[in-house]
Amino acid sequence: MDSSNDEALDIIITNVVATFRTRCHLNLRTIALEGTNVIYKPEVGKVLMKLRKPMITASIWSSGKIICTGATSEDEAKLGARRLARCLQKLGFKVRFSAFKVVNVLAVCSMPFAVNLINFTKNNRPIASYEPELHPAATYRIKNLKATIQVFSTGSLTVTGPNVQNVATAVEQVYPLLFECQKPLAKT
Amino acid sequence: MELGKDLKKENFYILEVIVQKLLFNILSLVFSSQHNVLFQNNSETLATFSLPAGLAYPVQIPAGVTLQTASGQLYKVNVPVVVTQAPVGQQPATQAMQKVTEWREASAPQPTAIPPNPIAPHEVETSSVPAQSVTQPKTILPSSKEAIVILLGQLLPFYKLDFSEFTTVMFLLAIHSQLDLGYSQFSDIVQLDGPAGNSDLEEEEEVPLEENDFLGIINAEAMKALQEGNESSDGNSISSSSDGEGADELDPLNSGDDVIEQDIPDLFDTDNVIVCQYDKIHRSKNRWKFHLKDGVMCYGGRDYVFSKAVGEAEW
Repeated sequence: MDSSNDEALDIIITNVVATFRTRCHLNLRTIALEGTNVIYKPEVGKVLMKLRKPMITASIWSSGKIICTGATSEDEAKLGARRLARCLQKLGFKVRFSAFKVVNVLAVCSMPFAVNLINFTKNNRPIASYEPELHPAATYRIKNLKATIQVFSTGSLTVTGPNVQNVATAVEQVYPLLFECQKPLAKT
Repeated sequence: MELGKDLKKENFYILEVIVQKLLFNILSLVFSSQHNVLFQNNSETLATFSLPAGLAYPVQIPAGVTLQTASGQLYKVNVPVVVTQAPVGQQPATQAMQKVTEWREASAPQPTAIPPNPIAPHEVETSSVPAQSVTQPKTILPSSKEAIVILLGQLLPFYKLDFSEFTTVMFLLAIHSQLDLGYSQFSDIVQLDGPAGNSDLEEEEEVPLEENDFLGIINAEAMKALQEGNESSDGNSISSSSDGEGADELDPLNSGDDVIEQDIPDLFDTDNVIVCQYDKIHRSKNRWKFHLKDGVMCYGGRDYVFSKAVGEAEW
């Protein structure tokens, strides 16, 4: 749509975090004893349940709130969440799958060029911040998209946003800015 | 002595609680109402159980009965209970101890019972309770919180309750004496998570639907709402999803909705079992490292014993 680049950038989604509620109180001890592939953390008050098929890890609280992490796409996150709710249902809880929401999407992307972070930060002063002593990447926050992009000097990016669409838009938005500040790769 | 002086004219009932040895029985018996019929004085639907006037004491009452004493205090203890009637002025503690030893010898084949702590309900002011509870440690007055603590204090040397369980048990017993609700799915270890008292109360409201009429009206309505929401969901049926992807309404979890059962349940058919204690269990992503100790294992049909074992696995 609004892409200004010819070559397609590979945006690889590495992690999707989603939450949902089961609308019923969950007895963590029952889950820990009878469930399969569970880790009980009584000191924190949650149970981790890992699923293989969509490789996800879910943190289950007794209030019925469940946070599902590790999926590689939004659909996979939802499928994994439903499977998880199904597992809990089989354990005997009156589970109602409700309030499913993808909370965070983490993606990585690689520019075909290196980036001069100092120039990049100078050009985008308030939106971008760079503190090399703290972190080797420059942080670029897009407020209206609620997305955060971390730019490394090698040209790699990590993008986090509330959903996949925002992440893609954020990459497209930042690409021309990075293109301006690219650093010639060849070093002598 | 001091107890006798403070008694009113009414008869003095002593409840002796025989508590079984196994640790988990204490709480599971006290709080589980799943398999025990519950008699309550105040519920509309359940029968009242009160000791008849002409009953010959001592009376042996089976487990799971709520008794109401003269003072109006309700006690539900899911362990076999002996109710005796002691004449006024007699030391309840010593008499209780006598009865206890008789009982203990009688029930020798049972798993060894600890010396019971008689619970003495009456109308003594609570201010005098703690002092007496200290001097006569066997006499417990459940109407006061301090008394409950003492009871547990007595239990501690016998059961070696660790601290977390101690506080939890104390908390639950305190709730029970005031609220007198039925519990289900309670086991020995209670969750320590969630807000202080609310999580337990929430769990009570989610009590199995069979006990619908036992709960209050509000809870019954909540149960009905839950039931209607789940009427299509069956525990074990699997059906293909029709619009699972698009519709994001509140409850389309229609009996599984095409979610495939966990693959490879045969993993647990294996007979290779290790029962042990752990020093350290470590996990990175899906790589596990085990440092185990003091265990026995059955592997490949053969039994092994180890004092130390180290293992690695990939999940």
